[in-house]
Amino acid sequence: MKNFLVSPSPHIHTSTSTATLMRDVVIALMPAVIVSVIFYGWSELLVLGVSVAACVLLEYVITKFLLKKENTVCDWSAAVTGILLALNVPPTCPWWVVAVGALVAIGVAKMTFGGIGMNIFNPALVGRVFLLVSFPTFMTDWTIPAGFITTDAVSGATLLGKYAEGGVEAIQGVDYIKTLFFNIGGSAGEISALALLAGWVYLLVRRVIKPWITLSIWATVAAVSLVFWLAAPDQFTDPVFNLLAGGMILGSCFMATDYVTSPMSVKGGVVFGVGIGFISLMIRYFGSYPEGMSFAILIMNAVVPLINLAFHQKKYGRK
Amino acid sequence: MKTFKIGGIHPNDSKISRDCKIEVLPVPQKVFISMAQHLGAPAKPIVAVGDRVKTGQVIGEPGGFISAFVHSSVTGTVKSIAPRKDLAGNCVVPHVEIEVEPDEWAEGIDTSDTIVTEIPQDKDFILGRVKANGVVGLGGATFPAHVKLAPAKQPDFLILNGAECEPYLTSDYRIMMEKTAQIIVGAAIMRQVLGGPRTVIAIEENKPEAIDAMNNMVRMLKDNHGGYDGIEVMPLMKKYPQGGEKQLINAVTGREVLSGKLPADAGCVVQNVATALAVYDAVQKNMPLITNTLTVTGDCLPAERQHNYLFRIGIPLSYIAEYAGGIPDEAAKIISGGPMMGKAIANLDATTVKGSSSLLFLTDAQTRRKKASNCIRCGRCADACPMGLEPFLLYRLYNAGNTEELENNAVQDCISCGCCLYSCPANIPLLDNINMAKGQVMGIIRARAAAAKAAAEAAKVEQK
Amino acid sequence: MTQTIIWTIAIIAGLGLLLAVILYFVAEKFKVVEDPRIDEVEKVMPGANCGGCGFAGCRAFADAAVKAPNLDNNYCPVGGNEVMKKVAAILGYEIAEKAPQVAVVRCNGSCEARPRTTEYDGVKSCKVKAALYAGDTGCAYGCLGCGDCVAACQFGAIHMNPETGLPEVDETKCTACGACTKACPKHIIEIRNKGTMPKNQRRVWVGCVNKDKGGVARKACTNACIGCGKCATVCKFGAITIENNLSYIDYNKCKACGQCVFACPTHAIQFSGFEPKQVTPKPAPAGEQANKEA
Repeated sequence: MKNFLVSPSPHIHTSTSTATLMRDVVIALMPAVIVSVIFYGWSELLVLGVSVAACVLLEYVITKFLLKKENTVCDWSAAVTGILLALNVPPTCPWWVVAVGALVAIGVAKMTFGGIGMNIFNPALVGRVFLLVSFPTFMTDWTIPAGFITTDAVSGATLLGKYAEGGVEAIQGVDYIKTLFFNIGGSAGEISALALLAGWVYLLVRRVIKPWITLSIWATVAAVSLVFWLAAPDQFTDPVFNLLAGGMILGSCFMATDYVTSPMSVKGGVVFGVGIGFISLMIRYFGSYPEGMSFAILIMNAVVPLINLAFHQKKYGRK
Repeated sequence: MKTFKIGGIHPNDSKISRDCKIEVLPVPQKVFISMAQHLGAPAKPIVAVGDRVKTGQVIGEPGGFISAFVHSSVTGTVKSIAPRKDLAGNCVVPHVEIEVEPDEWAEGIDTSDTIVTEIPQDKDFILGRVKANGVVGLGGATFPAHVKLAPAKQPDFLILNGAECEPYLTSDYRIMMEKTAQIIVGAAIMRQVLGGPRTVIAIEENKPEAIDAMNNMVRMLKDNHGGYDGIEVMPLMKKYPQGGEKQLINAVTGREVLSGKLPADAGCVVQNVATALAVYDAVQKNMPLITNTLTVTGDCLPAERQHNYLFRIGIPLSYIAEYAGGIPDEAAKIISGGPMMGKAIANLDATTVKGSSSLLFLTDAQTRRKKASNCIRCGRCADACPMGLEPFLLYRLYNAGNTEELENNAVQDCISCGCCLYSCPANIPLLDNINMAKGQVMGIIRARAAAAKAAAEAAKVEQK
Repeated sequence: MTQTIIWTIAIIAGLGLLLAVILYFVAEKFKVVEDPRIDEVEKVMPGANCGGCGFAGCRAFADAAVKAPNLDNNYCPVGGNEVMKKVAAILGYEIAEKAPQVAVVRCNGSCEARPRTTEYDGVKSCKVKAALYAGDTGCAYGCLGCGDCVAACQFGAIHMNPETGLPEVDETKCTACGACTKACPKHIIEIRNKGTMPKNQRRVWVGCVNKDKGGVARKACTNACIGCGKCATVCKFGAITIENNLSYIDYNKCKACGQCVFACPTHAIQFSGFEPKQVTPKPAPAGEQANKEA
């Protein structure tokens, strides 16, 4: 007679695994990836390819040869970091800069802390911010390369860049509807809010993430910028602009909702979201950088352990 | 439609054997009747080797306040009284081995099929019969029913648990379909004993036929007989662990049982439908609890080998497996009970007890644990926990040996439902460790309570 | 400019002075008078903070030792006699030398001797496994093999032998702190005197804790003690007792002659530090037993 298995209960297990969750995030990012490739063409494809390949390869090499642990490439998390990093850099970014970003993201921000689940900061954002401060020229070169439907390379500037340079007058007459669909100029993740939102809705439907962090970021940005805009419309941008411009949608839908670096309770998530919304808006209004989403998320990442300590969900039979 | 508010999961319900009618399982040549078939102190055997016992005769007396009578489920001669290995392989509890002869029923037992719908009024008579016939809760915990049916204050609710939220199990469903009237009479008897609280028969929506059958029968009994007012059927949304006492109370009444308190403190008494059936048998027929319904099922069994059996208590599990056609080749784990909270069987020679509800065969692919990876802090365990706990945190605290924080984070409230481990995408053995942590913390709490009690008594003595 | 510098220096100096005064008074007020011998004792302790002495750590032990009227109940198993002598010297006490001890694994149910009957699939922890069921072999008493003792040992003195599936104690590293005995849910590990005979090197023990009847125990594990009592019969020193179908060797009486090792039909009796020699020329009953079985 063969030996039967014996284990404590439960004896069945959900089919959802870390890999399926991460794969869902990759699928959710696909609309944004496709749109960016259509508009930015080969150069964007190169950035994406280098970023994903470098992240996956680095994770493999580090787990296998440096840490000598079981490799975690199969859980798709490195691929997610790779795509997010690619969507966060300009399409004209040289491939070796992207590779350095991947090295920082995976090597420094993720693996030094112990790999998946252990990192304090969002790896893709750490990579991006590292590149932003190390290679500012490459990271703020918003030349629009020739895409598959557009023709020639033109120089452009992001809406937030224009605002930081020239104030509210510089962005007069921006068509918000156009911004929602495709907003050429900026990093790949800034092109189409709609594509990103489609991915976000997919994640919600698949119950990969909960909407509260994202919604609280939006609500905070809308509310705070409304107050500023009403007080001084010639100095501050309006709420709709702030919600649609720059990395707001990408950051709030995909970066802030990263499992590892966001709070675990709903209440904590809302606090986290409010913090991100407020800090990012303050950087946009008063900071020297045109965009503050990355910094806001990273700052709030650092607070997450405290938020987790302070906010717990309601327990049954207890106040 | 109602359900409980916090947490819960939705595993595939896999009720493959739902349409298999209850068959009577023949009795083998030998049965082994355990003296510990209930929560609390084991019963003390009162027969000797060589004695001849009749079916339904008392062979074990309660060993304490929380304990129960044990009856012989067969007629025959006592061959031995000795410890025998239970399904976990532990050899501690005495079993009475009986060599089986044709049935000869003990006196005073009504073995006819007639349904007695008249409800006795005398509470002591009812409680006496429930106790004398060894009725225990058949929802899993096997808590002696006569203790639970005599709460300190009168409850507002009697909830009959027909949720059967565990996947695969269909024994409750079958008795609700086939023994509808008996269950409702049993419910009415318990309602009588509890002083007439609102009585709710709670059934999950995945059993619409049972809901219909119950509704029809309640209506019929109300129309034709007295004493059936205040009984209603309540469909509930399908969600595990709805059949958990605390969750069911929340689903039906919206109340919560406070931490460390009993359902009775929230004004509720919860009994399983199978217990209602046993109460009916005990009170109306003076029939001791010597049979129960057991599901033999599993995805690796073909449709014709799915069964629901009416079995005599004390029949070895191996005999049932054999009778049902043997253990399928694909089976990698055999479980007594449901896949979420059931026990993996280490020793198939173990005998059936009052609370046995299934023999479930799972394949390797279904059940073997996958290698655990790092926690990705997704919080799914916390979302799933029906007690609102944070399993990821409890797991970490246990590994750090921090019992104080474990207690602050309410590890003692864990009901071991398995939702956390089920839902963990990183396959972390959360519940394995949390159960250990719970044991530690409960030990500390009990020691503290005992110390406080001793101190109070010492103070009393000093005052005098 | 100069003024700014002067002001800065003045303010910082003033602040420093103020804080120093406050600190002085706070330190005076909350001063704890401690017996200086506690520090001295702590200094000679091994510093493992293992808890083997029964106190929370070396400091707690030092504190207790200083307050105690004698050292009878305070013994550091890790430091042994050497450390205790130093402690006694500091405190001015007399101590009797204690025999050095070592952890002994009382299970020899190797994978070969004790076939698996189920496959354990839960978390790798003896504690969890013991709470779940009797174990993945027929023996409900034996080693569960998940290595809780290995994890409990602070001195790296226990490791699992992958061949036998049993823990092995490295006696050069073992300090007899007793952490493993507490970690083992089956209570297989015992702290015994390191040796009885010359130079405290030899020891003999029963490598089994199975209390089942002989036949049952034997069926589960070919190396099990079956409680036959042959060892007790051959023992000239009355060191061996049989209780609950299980033999036990009292290390205070045992002279490590090794005769019980030959008497045991199941090779359940184990030895260390010497090679036992059989004294009686005629074949021991063990031989007969083996013949019968063959």
